[in-house]
Amino acid sequence: MFGILAWRPLLDPLPIDDVWYLLLIPIALGIAMAYKAVRVPNIQDYPKQVAVMATQTILAIVGLAVGAYLLIEVVLPIIAPK
Amino acid sequence: MPSNTPTPPTEPDVDFHIAALLAAAVLPGLGHVVRGERVRGVLAFAGVMLLFLTGLVAGGIDVVDRREDKFWFIGQACVGPLAFGIDWYHQNHLKVVDPNPKGLVIKGRTPLRSAYPNEGRDRTTGLPVGGGTPPNIKSIGKINEIGMLACTLAGMLNVIVIIDAGFPTRRKPRGAA
Repeated sequence: MFGILAWRPLLDPLPIDDVWYLLLIPIALGIAMAYKAVRVPNIQDYPKQVAVMATQTILAIVGLAVGAYLLIEVVLPIIAPK
Repeated sequence: MPSNTPTPPTEPDVDFHIAALLAAAVLPGLGHVVRGERVRGVLAFAGVMLLFLTGLVAGGIDVVDRREDKFWFIGQACVGPLAFGIDWYHQNHLKVVDPNPKGLVIKGRTPLRSAYPNEGRDRTTGLPVGGGTPPNIKSIGKINEIGMLACTLAGMLNVIVIIDAGFPTRRKPRGAA
């Protein structure tokens, strides 16, 4: 709370070390916005295609995170020699 | 008397456009505006800038550093003069002159470093001043990595935007013959 009060935008890093993973949302959205701007044949489809691509990206990364968690916390303790 | 024959759909201009290519290299999306695709250019600009600003806001200006993060800066430089301007400001107005440089010192280049948490910066000499406030705070850990990654992704996506401005395709839907 107090960290954010002392934060100087663009000069200091954002004090969000506890919720850093939320930065996935603007990054996925930015990638989708820039890519679809040059990719969509009809610009009318742009908002829908950006929403679909951003959602797919976020779900894929969340899926990878869940998969990595299960592998390290569940599977490896079972198969690793003690 | 109006004719009943339908007008054939106009083929998009897909010729190489040097002015659009150069304009796109100057500012993200400007190449499309030069070609006459204003909405597409504005949307491309918005996407690249969202990524670049996300990185800058998250990690602070420290994420754009030509000297300390050379390989990341190669990607970030693809955003255009904006990235070079931010790096210039970072090197010349925020970093301090290192009075005791460690490691390799390149001849003719002033050794610079980020100010420590208990240091300020003398505006005229650029030397560190004890007991002041640092001009900027160096980011570390995940926030630094994500900030650099976002800015570099912005540059890499801008390469796609630049190529599309100079060498546009017909943008046929997937599967269309």
